[in-house]
Parts: sequence; structure tokens; C-alpha cells
Amino acid sequence: MPLLHELKLRFASDDDIFFQPDHILHIPVVFIGLTSLLDLIQTKERLTKDAFAKQGLAADDAGLLRQLGESIDTGDLRSAVTSLLSGKMIVFHKPSETFIAVEAASKPLTRSVEEPSDESVIHGPRSAFNEDIDTNLGMVKRQLNSDKLAVKSYAVGANSRTRINLLYLENQVEPALLTAIIGRFESNKELDVCNLQQLSRMLGLPSWAAISPYIRTELPQDTVHYLMRGKAVLLLDRFPCALVLPNDLWSMLAVQNDLNYPRLFTLSFRLLRLAGVLCHILAPGLYVAVVSVNPEILRIEMALTVAQSRLGVPYPALVETLILLFVLEMVMEASVRLPKSIGPTITMVGGIILGQAVVSAKLVSNLLIIILAAATIANFTISGFVNSISIRLFKYVILLLAAFYGILGLLSGMVLVCAYVSSVTTFGIPYAQLARKSRG
Amino acid sequence: MDKTLQVIVMCIVTHLGLMFFLFPSDVMETVDVGHWLPILVGYLLHFAFVALYTKGLAYYDRHDLIDIFLTGGRTIAVLLLLPLAVYFIMVNIITVRAYSEIITIVFLSNTPLWAIMALLLTIPTYIAMTGIESIFRTGMLLAILFLPIVLFVICVSFHNTDWHYLFPLLERDSFNFITERPFLKSLFIFTGSFLFLGFVRPTVTYNRRRILIASWILLPLVLLSVYIPLLTFGQDTASMLQFPFILAVDTIDITWLMFDRITGFFLLGMVTFVMLFVGLVMWATNRLIHRCMPRVRPEWITLMLGMVIFAASLFVRDWGSVHRLFWWNSIFRIYAFSVIPLATYLFGVMKARKLQVSP
Amino acid sequence: MIKVMRRLCRILLLLAAVPLLHGCWDNKDINHRSLPLVMGIAKQQDKYRIYLQIPSSDPQNPQMKVVAESGRTVTEAVDRISMNMESQVDLLHLKVILVEKHFAQEGMADIIEGFIRARDISPKAKLVICNESLERFFENMKTAIAGNQTILCDFFDKNAGWNPSIAQTHIWETFRSIHSYTRDVIAPIIQTGKDTIIENVGSAIIKNGKMVDRINPNETLLYYAFKGASTQGKIEVLDHASVLIVNNTVSHHGKIVNSKPLLRSTIRLKVSVLETRGDPTMASIRQELEEIEAKRFAKLFKKMQLKEADILGVGQYFRTDLSRSELSHWRSVYLPKAELQLTIKAIIQNNGNLKTTGM
Repeated sequence: MPLLHELKLRFASDDDIFFQPDHILHIPVVFIGLTSLLDLIQTKERLTKDAFAKQGLAADDAGLLRQLGESIDTGDLRSAVTSLLSGKMIVFHKPSETFIAVEAASKPLTRSVEEPSDESVIHGPRSAFNEDIDTNLGMVKRQLNSDKLAVKSYAVGANSRTRINLLYLENQVEPALLTAIIGRFESNKELDVCNLQQLSRMLGLPSWAAISPYIRTELPQDTVHYLMRGKAVLLLDRFPCALVLPNDLWSMLAVQNDLNYPRLFTLSFRLLRLAGVLCHILAPGLYVAVVSVNPEILRIEMALTVAQSRLGVPYPALVETLILLFVLEMVMEASVRLPKSIGPTITMVGGIILGQAVVSAKLVSNLLIIILAAATIANFTISGFVNSISIRLFKYVILLLAAFYGILGLLSGMVLVCAYVSSVTTFGIPYAQLARKSRG
Repeated sequence: MDKTLQVIVMCIVTHLGLMFFLFPSDVMETVDVGHWLPILVGYLLHFAFVALYTKGLAYYDRHDLIDIFLTGGRTIAVLLLLPLAVYFIMVNIITVRAYSEIITIVFLSNTPLWAIMALLLTIPTYIAMTGIESIFRTGMLLAILFLPIVLFVICVSFHNTDWHYLFPLLERDSFNFITERPFLKSLFIFTGSFLFLGFVRPTVTYNRRRILIASWILLPLVLLSVYIPLLTFGQDTASMLQFPFILAVDTIDITWLMFDRITGFFLLGMVTFVMLFVGLVMWATNRLIHRCMPRVRPEWITLMLGMVIFAASLFVRDWGSVHRLFWWNSIFRIYAFSVIPLATYLFGVMKARKLQVSP
Repeated sequence: MIKVMRRLCRILLLLAAVPLLHGCWDNKDINHRSLPLVMGIAKQQDKYRIYLQIPSSDPQNPQMKVVAESGRTVTEAVDRISMNMESQVDLLHLKVILVEKHFAQEGMADIIEGFIRARDISPKAKLVICNESLERFFENMKTAIAGNQTILCDFFDKNAGWNPSIAQTHIWETFRSIHSYTRDVIAPIIQTGKDTIIENVGSAIIKNGKMVDRINPNETLLYYAFKGASTQGKIEVLDHASVLIVNNTVSHHGKIVNSKPLLRSTIRLKVSVLETRGDPTMASIRQELEEIEAKRFAKLFKKMQLKEADILGVGQYFRTDLSRSELSHWRSVYLPKAELQLTIKAIIQNNGNLKTTGM
């Protein structure tokens, strides 16, 4: 029995495995499986029922067992190991030296379909992706009832196998994009993919880009929408988001759920987000430019108020802004880390205590607090957390330029950002493609 | 891919950037009355040459200017394109230098020139390095962001106008301007930014007729750039000003705006368009040079070009020399404005004839 | 490889930005700048004496600060003030230029041109003439004002204390009038009052930057009525009634008859009756109003012709009829012999809450 022995050797350091002699009906067998992944009792029950039903179909015991699952060649250790790791059970029939991999009842290691936790939806479909790739795929298929939906499945990684599904609509997808992605998957099969940086490396995407090449969404509704716009969707096992390739500028402003409202509101929501983007990246720079370089831009009443609010602030506007921005970024980062129950504390400490104290200690002007608070709020109007991060970064470029050149710096910072945004392409498809191309 | 809209936006935006600064005072130096005449003449010349140029280019599918001229042999191509390259580089030097000076005069009086020139060159260099398709997209984004502000300012600039200054519309001897220096100088706003059309063919296609139709949008804008200061101040006062349009916008008093001097936003919005223009011209120059030195990476050429332009701009001492340089460049300008389109057209016609004969 | 190159390029570009860190040339925080609102200019022998009214930004101590210094040029004096102050003086926000009467009569074309040239003073600043010595004016102001820092600006602000009997002239309009053939301006004359802080005592006729005569507030109102600017909200007192002007429209028609300019103008005033004395009929009120305005206007026009100062811009209506060379003699040749046929039509729109008989 070389295979059984080999298996035992292979899993010598894994106590999770069991080799349990048992019977199916009257046939003596050995069940082999991983305790953590499968529910033995249920599986046994199911197997017995199944075997009972198929009793008359086979001539001998080995034949009956073969009806129950896929048989594995005695020399094929690799597929035996893969079956075990993916949660199947192997039934070993000693007299005929047969190994059969059967579907096992899995232990519930996945949460059920829940509401989205990172993208809330108002008055729209609420189910969100979870960690199980099959559930996710099923949800997409539920949402999109089309025979044009193609699914390509890959298992990549040399050390740890990760299942990746590539979804696209046959009649919509850009052929160049598709061949590029498939080509990368085929040629980089051995690379491990445990996180998105590794995925980017596998797909050959730039690793230093300030703009994420994917759109991430945990909503099947949005995913389907992107599919219909000719994008490709990647589903990773154990990853509760769909990754949409390529990203585009529009995804920053548009949420699919907008379309569930009358047109007028859709438009105004999107304009609001655009204003949010502009407000977030321009407001701190504008403050610095106006306060320290071009005060003539302000009306005199405003200028006097601003001067009053800055009275006694010890450092230049740029430093003041940077300090406060730093504190704000820390508050944001901290509130992501904190458990939900302590979250409100940081709001209080950050908002009330720190904000109030910093003003009354005359470390920063209260106008700046208002401006930065507005800018921070504006940041969260942007759809998609990943998008809002890149926007957060651009703000600093503009801020620095504004400190040197005032309004000129502010606007040339905008030019720089625009030029950068326009130069980003993913698989040859530009990020800033404004005209939506519809095919078929 | 058809990018007519992007090409149109690019044309309009780059022209906008150029027309509001030096152009009005040049026109006012050209004539005392009937300013519409030199403007119209300039514009019609522009239109005619753009039509010729695009017609000539249309004979060749997916060829850029260099390919077209190379069909006539290497010597001819070099002879035709060398002055163009010189013109492009000089345009860059003059534009960067002049606009930095304008910014110091109008806006940042304490910032040294080199710092502003560095900014005005770094960003275009980066833009030029990203390639033509990206330049077009940048143009679109900038247009979406800044055109509303610019149009708003143009609309409110009628605030202080007095229509009586429109008259007299014409006087008898007002056709003498054609050969005058200020008129030739004023042509610059028309010459700079249509030549790029010849370089984008391999990657970008456009609809020639739509572009010609859209170029009429420029005419009212050009007229406004002269007539708004004229109607605000009158010829006698306006002709004394270095940048009449800027001062005309400066006189606008809108009490409900949060900002006081909207000129700042207008002017700097224009400067962003100029950055785009410089980037575009640098890209075209880069194409020309890259053809001569195919071994060197285009990124390096652009970078070197940026440095050369920066160094050259440092050598221009004062505002007077800018004007002189501007005047010297007129020869190249007229060459680029007329000979290049004509030559393109002739090459096109010749190719069409050959095709007719050979099959 | 290309990627590495690109990255190198970017790093080089970033490195090029490092020297920028040395300087923030125009960078000075707003609380370290003094933003004067009013500049007073007087002339003592050969020197200008400059007064700057600077609002204090300290809420605890809202005292208005007035500093004065002399110099041979305006900038020299400002520079001296700046030197002696704890913060840098920034003229960017100057709203009112207050000129002493004697200096205005001497002529202030030089300083106006200086303001336009230097650009840090907004061309929107208002020109005001002070009837008393500036020393005394600011002294009185200081004692009178406690909290309100922007009182002088508010006095002329259209949204605050302005009314059509107060002339309002910006620096750029004055500059235009200096160089225009057909247009002069008026500027308000003020002094400190007994009960109110500021008192409007009429307007100065300014010709070529020089104050040549003055008109009273009623004539100023007519000036605005003639210009077609709104005189709405102004109360006119007649012998038998006082009325509120609700609306006014004008139409002008100019033509040359026997080489004499003839201007036909119609001013329509819509008024509503506020108060009556005795028992006048509506018709009589209307007639009285028309007569009184016509008489005043004739006087104003006479004065204008006598001083050869075209404050009403009558010449503007003849731009179509006269050539530019003729227009250049407008003030001296044509204006004195110009004839004005003015019709004033009053319409009594309503008579308030009371019925009055005899419409």
C-alpha cells in the first residue's frame, strides 16, 4: 500500500488527519480526512444512504465504492493531497487497493451572507460577498442571469493554492484586456497570491502606483454592473471582495445604487461627490495659499477674520496645516483599528477634547479646524475606500506646491494631479477614460 | 480610436491660454479703430492654413508629418523640419519666459523668476513625458475643471463695459496694418497650437470637418479678448496697458463672491492651459528630435529638452529682450504658419496624383 | 528597463524640486501683514504725506491705527511706514484713497498712474477727496470710532451706506478719464461731521486728474440719473411734497447739426409720494418735480461746459459721428458749443396708503 503509506508520511506532522477504519453497508473501508475541515458523522451518514441507493448498480464492492466518488490512482499522491486539503474525504478499500475521493459535509467555516460592512447601501440590495468563493460566484450568478457570463477558474501558488475565478461577459469584455489577464495567469501560475500586492505582481501591474488598478466592491450589484460595462472581475477565495479590472475615474463618483433613484438625484449625488473630491484635495492647499501667499484673494472682511483667528499661532500656515492633518490621519487610522465598541471614544477624544484644546491653546487657528474637518468629511463622500486613499495622498502634493507658489501652486498642483491621473493605464486601458465605450 | 472631441478641446484650451495676455495689446498697437479687422484677418489666415494642413494630412493615413516629408527624401525632410524644430524650441523658451514674467508682474512679486520658470517647466516636462494620449486626457480633465471658471470670468467681465467704445467701427486707411510689426507679432496666438495635429496621426484619429467647424468657437473668444478691455477702458487708455485684459478683469466688483480678486483665478487658470500648451509643444519637439536620434529614450530627450529650455530662459535678461526674441521668432513663426501647411498640402496632392497614375 | 528609466526620471524631477525648499519668497502669514484699508495722501511742499488706516486684528483692542509718514514718492513713504511697523504693510486690500483737497486741485495724475502701474493697489479702490486737512480728519475719526474698523469702506459700499447722492469713482475710472478724450469723472468730497462720523458735501469734478470744480449732492444725483445708473431709493424734496424715486430710465440720442453736437435726452423718473405740504394735486407735484430737475440739470451742464470737463460722458454719444482726430478735440472744441435738449418725464407711480385726488 504505497499511497496510504505515503499519505501517512506526508501528514506525519499534521495531527489533524484521521485514518478511521469503518464500514459502508457491509464493506470494510478506511476513512481518511482532515478533522478540521469535514464533519465525519454527517459524511458517513450521507455515504451510507448513497451506497444503499446504488447497491444494485455495481457488481462488486470496489465497483460500488467507485460510484460514490472519484477514484484516485494509487500512484497519484498529489491529487490525493489536494483533495484532502480542499476538504474532501478519501475512502480506502483495502481488498481492491482503491482510493476514492468523496464530497464531504464541510464544517461551517464561512459566515453566512450578511449585509455589507464597508459599503453601506441605502434602499438597495443588501447582500454582500463573504469569504467563500463559491458563495460569491453564486451571488454574482444570481444577480446576473445571462448565458454570456463566462467563468474561468484558476488555482495558483506553489506553496499555498489559492482559487481565483475570472468572470467576464463574453460580448462586452475588451478582448485585449482578457487575453492580457489570462496570459498573466497562465505564465505566473507558480506565484503565491495571499494579498493584493502579490496579485498585482502576478498580473504585472505597477506596484508603486498611487491609484489602485482594481476597483474593490463587496456588493454583487456593483460587480454585475461593472461586468456589463465590459470589465473583468476577479474573485479570490477567502477574500470578501470582488476585484474589478481595470479601475476608472468614474468609479470614484458613481455608486451603482445611485441608479435606484430618480435621475435628478443621481446627477446631484454625483456632482456632490465631485465637489467632495475637489474640496478634499483643494481646501487645505487653498487655506495655506490664501493665508500665507495670496491674501489679496480674500475679501477684506474675511481677511480680517482670518488674521484674527491666526493671532498668536506660533508657526507658519504650512506647518500648522501639516500638524493638524497628521493628527487627523492618525485619528482616521486609529478608528479603523479599534473595535466598534471603543470607536466612539476616539471620536470624542479626537473631536471634542483635542480639537477644542488645540484651539484654546492657540496652537492652530480655529478656521483651519473648520476647513480640515470639512475636507475630511468631503473625503468620505467619495465612493470606494481605495479611491479615497489615493485622493488623500494627492492633497499633500497640492498643499506643498500651494505653500511655495500660492494660488499658482494650487492650480499647477491640480495640473500635476490631472496629468498623473491621465497617465495611469491598466492593461492599456486608461484610468481617465471618460467616454464609456459600449460594445456589442 | 476617434478622438475628435479631445482634439477640439485641446485646440481651444491651448489657444485660450495664449490669447488673453500679449495678444490684446498687440492688436491695440496695430490699429486705433476697427480692431475686429486685424483679428478677423488673422483668424481667416489661421482657418485657411488649418484647412490646408488637415487636408494635406488627410491624404496620408496614419502618417505623421515626419513620415510625410520623408517620402520626399531625407534632405527635403530635414530642410523643411529643421526650422520647425527651431521654432518649437523658441516658442517654448519664449512662452515659459514671458509667462513667468507675467506672473511676477501680476501675482508673485517677490518670488524669483527662476523658481517660477522651474515650475512652469517641470510640470510640462512631466506632461510631455506621459505621451500624447495622456496629454489629451489631461487636456480634457483641465477643461472640465477650469473652463467653467474661465467662462464665468469672461461672462462677468462685461460688468464695466461701455458699448459706445465700440465705435467708430472703421476708418478709411485702416488696411495698412498687414505688414506692421505688431500685427505680425499678434499672429502668434494662431500659429502655436494647430501644428501638433500633424504629429498625432499615428495614434489618434479625428474628424477633419468637425475640427474645422469647431475652430469657429475661437473667433468670438479672440474678439472678446480684445473687445472687453477696449469696451471697458477705451482705445486710448487700453493701449497704454501691458495686459489690458487682466486689468479689465481686475475692475470687476462682485460683492457676493467670497473672493475679491478673481483675476487671480482667471489668470492662473490660463497659466494651467499654457502649461499644457508647453507640454504639447515639447512633446512635438521630442518627436522631431527622437526621429533624428532613435537610440535615445524619448524620456531622456524630453528631460534634456526641459533643461535646455530652462537654461535658455535664464539667459533672457529682461522684458525687452523677451519682446525682441518674440519678434525674431516671427520669421520662423510665419514659416511654420504658412510653409508647413502648404508643403503638407502639396505632398498630399502629389501622393494623390501618383495614386491616380499608378493603378 | 523602461520602468526603471521612468522611475529614475521621476526621482530626478523630484530632486530638482529640492532647491525650492529653500525659499518661500512670497510666503508671509496673514497675521504678520498689516492690511490698511484707507490711504490718505496730502502734499506738503515737495513731499507726499501718506496716512494709512490699519484695522487692528486684535479683538481685545479694536482701536483703529493711523500711521503717517512723508516721502518724495508714495512708495517711499509706505516703505518707511513698513520699516517702522512690526509687520509688513500690504497695500493689496486698500479700499479707499483719500486725497486732500489742495492736492487734488494741484493734480494727481502721477499717483493714479503709479497705482495702476504697481498693481498691488487694487484698481477697484475708490477715490475720495477730503475737504479738511487729513491730519484733522483722521484725528476726528480716531476719537469717533470705537469698534467699526471698516467705516470708511462701508460709507461707500453699495451694500451698506452708499446712496446715489454720493459719487463713487474707482481708481481705474479716474485713470481712464485721464487718457480718454470724451470722459471725465466726479469724486465725492467728504469731511468729518458733527453727529455722523462722515459727511458728504458734494462731488469734485476731476478733469485729467485735477479737481477743477465741485457740484452739490443734488447734482450728483442727476449725474447718476443721466448715466442711467439706478437712483432708486433716493428722496427728492420739492416745495409742496417729498417723493421717493422708485425707478429711472434714460435714453440718449446724439447727432451733429451744423458741426454742433446736439444731444436729445429723456430721463423718466418713477416716483411715489411720501409726504405733502398743503394740498397739492398730483399733476402739480409732477410738474414741480420736472421743472426743478430740469433747472438743476441745466445748471450742471453749464458748469460742465464752462470747465470743459465732460463728466457726463456726452462725447460718448458722438463716437459714431466724429472721427478719432475730431474726438481728440472734443473737450475744447465741441463740448462748449454742445446743446442739450433734455426732457424729464416724471411718473407718479403711486401715492402710498392715502388716496389723493387730481391725478
